Amino acid sequence: MIKFYIDSKEVTATKGESILDVARRENIYIPTMCYLPKASANASCRMCSIEVKAQDGFVLSCNTPPVEDIEVITNSDSLYKERQNIMKLYNVNHPLQCGVCDKSGECDLQNKTLEFDVSEQSFAVRDQARKKKKWGVHTYDPALCILCEKCTTVCNETVGNEALYIKPGGYKSHIDIKLANCIECGECISVCPVGAMASTEFKYSANAWELDKVPSSCSHCSSACQLYYESKDGEIKRVTNESDFSSLCGAGRFGFDFENRVISKDEEAFSRAIEAFKNTSNVVFSSLITNEEAYVLNELKKKFGFNLVNDEARAYQNFMKSFAKFANSSLYNATIDDLKSSDYIISIGCSIESDNPMIKFGASQAVKYKKAFVSTIAPVEEYAISNVVSLYINNEVGSEEAALAMIADTFIKDKSSQKEFFDSLDFGYLSGESNISQEELSLLKQNYIRKQNPVLIIGEDVINHPRANNIAAIAGYLQKNALFKVMVVPPFTNTLGVSLICDLDEAKSGLSVGYNVSADFTLSAKGSGDLDMPALNQQEGTFVNIDKNLVVLNAGVAHNGYELNDIANALGVKSKNIVDYTSRLGFKTIEFDDLDNYFDNVGNAYRGYKIDAMQNQENLKLDEVEELDEFNGSIVYSRNPLRQFSIFTSDTKQLKQKMDLVGSEQFAIASKIKSGDNVKFSVDGVEFIRHFRVDRHMKGTVAYNPTYNMDSKSSNYRYNQVELEVINE
Amino acid sequence: MSKVYFSTWRQEQINNIGKDEDLWEESAYRLPEQYNEHSSSKAFIGWDGVALFDKDIDVVKLATEYAHQYQEYSEACGRCAPGRWGGRILYDLLDKIARGEGSMSDMDHLKEIGKSMQLTSKCEIGKTVPKPLIDLMTHFEDTFLECINEQKPSKHYHENVDYIAKITAPCMDACPAHVDIPAYIEGVRDARLDNSLRATRQTMPLAHACGRVCPHPCEDECRRSNLDSPISIMELKRLGADYESDHNLGFYHPGKGKKKAPIGKKVAVIGSGPAGLTTAYYLALDGVEVDVYEALPVLGGEVTVGVPEYRMPWAKYKQDIEAVKDLGVNFILNHEVTADEMREFETTYDATMIASGTRLSKKVRCDNENPETTGYWGAIDFLDRINLYDKFDIPLTDEQKKEYAIDADFVDLTGKTVVCVGGGFTSMDVVRCSIRAGASRVIMIYRRDEKTIIRNTTYEEYHEAVEEGVDFIFHSAVERMNDEDGVLKSLDFNMFELVPDPDGGRAQLVKIDDGDFSLDVDYLIPAVSQAADLNFLPSEWELEMTSWATIKTNGIDYMTSRKGIFASGDCEYGPMTIVNAVGQAKRGASVISRFIQNGGEVTLTDDEIMEDHLRKMKVYDKKEKITGWLAGVARQKSEVVDVDIRKYNNVEVNFGFTAEQAQSEAERCMRCYYIAMVAK
Repeated sequence: MIKFYIDSKEVTATKGESILDVARRENIYIPTMCYLPKASANASCRMCSIEVKAQDGFVLSCNTPPVEDIEVITNSDSLYKERQNIMKLYNVNHPLQCGVCDKSGECDLQNKTLEFDVSEQSFAVRDQARKKKKWGVHTYDPALCILCEKCTTVCNETVGNEALYIKPGGYKSHIDIKLANCIECGECISVCPVGAMASTEFKYSANAWELDKVPSSCSHCSSACQLYYESKDGEIKRVTNESDFSSLCGAGRFGFDFENRVISKDEEAFSRAIEAFKNTSNVVFSSLITNEEAYVLNELKKKFGFNLVNDEARAYQNFMKSFAKFANSSLYNATIDDLKSSDYIISIGCSIESDNPMIKFGASQAVKYKKAFVSTIAPVEEYAISNVVSLYINNEVGSEEAALAMIADTFIKDKSSQKEFFDSLDFGYLSGESNISQEELSLLKQNYIRKQNPVLIIGEDVINHPRANNIAAIAGYLQKNALFKVMVVPPFTNTLGVSLICDLDEAKSGLSVGYNVSADFTLSAKGSGDLDMPALNQQEGTFVNIDKNLVVLNAGVAHNGYELNDIANALGVKSKNIVDYTSRLGFKTIEFDDLDNYFDNVGNAYRGYKIDAMQNQENLKLDEVEELDEFNGSIVYSRNPLRQFSIFTSDTKQLKQKMDLVGSEQFAIASKIKSGDNVKFSVDGVEFIRHFRVDRHMKGTVAYNPTYNMDSKSSNYRYNQVELEVINE
Repeated sequence: MSKVYFSTWRQEQINNIGKDEDLWEESAYRLPEQYNEHSSSKAFIGWDGVALFDKDIDVVKLATEYAHQYQEYSEACGRCAPGRWGGRILYDLLDKIARGEGSMSDMDHLKEIGKSMQLTSKCEIGKTVPKPLIDLMTHFEDTFLECINEQKPSKHYHENVDYIAKITAPCMDACPAHVDIPAYIEGVRDARLDNSLRATRQTMPLAHACGRVCPHPCEDECRRSNLDSPISIMELKRLGADYESDHNLGFYHPGKGKKKAPIGKKVAVIGSGPAGLTTAYYLALDGVEVDVYEALPVLGGEVTVGVPEYRMPWAKYKQDIEAVKDLGVNFILNHEVTADEMREFETTYDATMIASGTRLSKKVRCDNENPETTGYWGAIDFLDRINLYDKFDIPLTDEQKKEYAIDADFVDLTGKTVVCVGGGFTSMDVVRCSIRAGASRVIMIYRRDEKTIIRNTTYEEYHEAVEEGVDFIFHSAVERMNDEDGVLKSLDFNMFELVPDPDGGRAQLVKIDDGDFSLDVDYLIPAVSQAADLNFLPSEWELEMTSWATIKTNGIDYMTSRKGIFASGDCEYGPMTIVNAVGQAKRGASVISRFIQNGGEVTLTDDEIMEDHLRKMKVYDKKEKITGWLAGVARQKSEVVDVDIRKYNNVEVNFGFTAEQAQSEAERCMRCYYIAMVAK
């Protein structure tokens, strides 16, 4: 702790805090133009200069840690004058076209120009022609750019893609891009203080002050990031977020137009729905659902006795049951923040690139800020994250149980409590079958030395694995032994919430009602079923996200039809509003309206509350590793491309993309197909016809098959051996 | 001392305007009044003032050009508001005045923006560019006003004058390889370690090595020392290097990362140590075909077989060597070049670089000193044996076992007493390796004191050796070797004391009469110095030699007395540092590249000429007072392996910075870039 003074107030700093950090925490104002709390200091604007008593010259507060007993002065005549001069400089040749600038009304340059009373300009330079650039979802206007470097910093540090960079050259300096690295997440747009980096789609569609802003959470994946739906005339125009402190991926930022527009309530369909519920044997639903709706379905199940079916959530539930027995805790213990501050990350069975973008962002930040060693254990090498990964371990398809057993054997020192299990491991056999070598394991071990915050990421491939039970047990055992913090990635937005709330069953014979899943009677937020339901951007409710936080969902746009609560009321499960159930979910008894959804001055998130894990004390024995099935021939991996998650992202205007089967040259040769062929194959009884494309960066004999347009998420192992049939016309 | 017409350099105020040339007051600094042998300079302008050599210089144009350089030479800049816009305003307004279109308010605005830049710019370029401009505007106000009042161009505005500018920094100037240190530190600060390494490799290919074992002369001339303590420059270099080797993303070569197309020229390099590798690297980048001949079975020279694994892990140095290989350089191992081959090379290659190092251990000069005595073991050979086994599993031959009286396949000193005579890096390596080889007692004999040994090596190196259990006996020397039947048995020592010279001269080492003592020892390892083994040079070439028996060059272009034969590194300079070898070889490669393409002409680039001028002037000013930075922000220190663990193995002692430490340390860097410019 360092004690010092800011404007005569005694304050203390902890290690790693800058003078500016402390000032903000203490609510002392120091102006900035380039400071971005979630990343490292750019130090380009120089506005945050301060004076220190008994020292000559100005000191930058954003990147200078305080020294014991110094007396900081945040404002003086000379500081004001220099800050004013900087604002004058920023305004040199800045086009005076605020009337047609997207940023007007929320522009830092406008605000600070007023704040520093720049009423006259004493400086001028010859202007230069600067061309606007269109880079996909974002456009860059160098004439508006003040070179604050926030965009390059988030692109490099927060996202980890190193697409944007500064092309230096004095007054000619500007931002440039390596387009191949851009994942179109729009982080650059969100942090731009002026109108330089703008959303191509949003441009010229609304003024900042005309938009209604609703705080909510993203519904596309289990990170459920904080966001604002901003709408005008009943239409969402854009999504923004608290970009100083948190992030969004491209799906969250650009995939917002998935609402289900209906003109009025369809009474006839509604009464059919009521009847369907009364007569159904099964209610089938997906995890793209709020906690409250899941709770209502569970209440209806209690009342009507139908089977409540969600195979994907049930697989997760079972995985966590087995995990909990060995972890002696009902939940995994890692969060995305743990990932960001980790210095050692191993993932198994997870697509770091696309399963959950915040895992990718977090791992990148761990590499940038903590020099983390990252190893992915997966049959495929994701080249797009090669600057994040230090060691790719390519296991044979299907060998994840063996892989995790070998990890446990490598890291656990005291093996006495599971002696039989470890004694049973035949390393030669496991290594041969999984294709994981002793060298790779010793590299893992070697790089583990001195690491403080290791994290193990358990992905969907092992959650939906034939040997999931024992894999979960090993993962739980690793968490209990405290060698790693463990994260079991919920495969869908609210898989975790559903798994905690619902009593799930296997489907039984008879009729089914589906909620966002096709069935005999389908309730659909896509507008493709028998009764229209509100989409997740039209609802109030909550999710339990990957951080095990219960977070708030608010409606960005109205829904004029029926909602599940209407059905429940008609069926005798009564409450005025669906969110009346929020306090009854079985977590904390906090009312929906009392839940927070904001960040404080220094970036602490106040979003809902944390779900507590239950502790238990069981001493069970791990199963022996089972012999492995062999996978040969053409293998497809059900993996979605970045920015696509579900039927709700698939049709949004800015995210739309082709659903190609993508594989390596080697895959094409081995499967006797070529780039451009249309191929037919079936996975788990579902037939696919896909256009095949070779990605020359890819290696190996596994191809990616996107499945995001399927209405129910599979609970099967994502790798499948297939027969490919070329069906070119 | 330089002859000047006017100077404000380093606070001096010399004004010979209107004085008779014979009465001119001289500048106290070694300014570049003579640009090179062909031309003189009209003026020098830089971060700390301006010096005019020629009365006829157009000061308005000079100021304009200097401001212009800020726009041209701003690769590192345009990255803060005052620098980006302010720098452009300076240039635009000065040019406006120089064109004859200026107004009085322009003068005021120039001064105002200059002051703002000095106070708020991010790097020293922005802070210092206004200084000489304001000097000129103040001392030659009349000249500026004349342009404004009469609305006429400055006197030589439309003439072509050669302006040569160079970016420098105190640390860059002090580094023998002139590494762009602020740029690689900025790469760390920006969390772009790839860019950091690219910046290093512009002039220093061996980033893994020099991020670990460089004695960092740059840190002695770091401006931050004037405020609190120097930046940990060397350790920050390691970040970029380790990023490359840890992530396996290929090699980060400088610039666009590509070598030029083959130009059809061939160069032979003798020796694959730092100088040889550096020569090969930069020639290969220029599209030259390079063959490197190495006598040993392994590449890398003394850094491989001299520097122990615990200081310089082979896996890391190997990455530097692989980077050279990546450019297509051809290496020939186990090949000791002969005089006949050297003669042949003159026709088969377009030029030859000798970089064979100094691989002969010098004697300690004691009585009965006989290299044939068993137990007498030259440091170079000793370290070869240790490192070849540790790094490459090459065991001792039966002959060697006999020679060293060792039974094992490796240097096993269990239970032995080892005495090393030295005081430099090599001797530190010897004693610390001896500890790791199991010796029961390890003694360092050094003629001078603790302070000097730290100055000659590093603080860390010395303290780590003490921690590991090395006995340092200061002010001592070996008087005599005692052997029985050709086997070393004991040593006699003398002790000395430093007696100050009553006349104020250098203190003298005087033998203490009753200080003599003897010790039973098993090995005496002389590590006092090394000499070059140059037997392979054809005697009829009669290459000029230095008084140290090293190859003589002018220390500027590194060509020997024989045309087309170049020399760099220890065989030229005498035993010195890695970075010195790299610096020499980098320059040598640059000269060779032009030499073989321009029909055998030895030339320097303007950048190199300026580099040499600046080094003579010295960029670092120990007396400068630093403002605008908070004093007392602590220098980061990396952790090392616990002594009880490292004593018994070869793991790298220094863990290097954590990411947080690196970031904090990088934030301390003041980016002391300066622009220096000469008007020719």
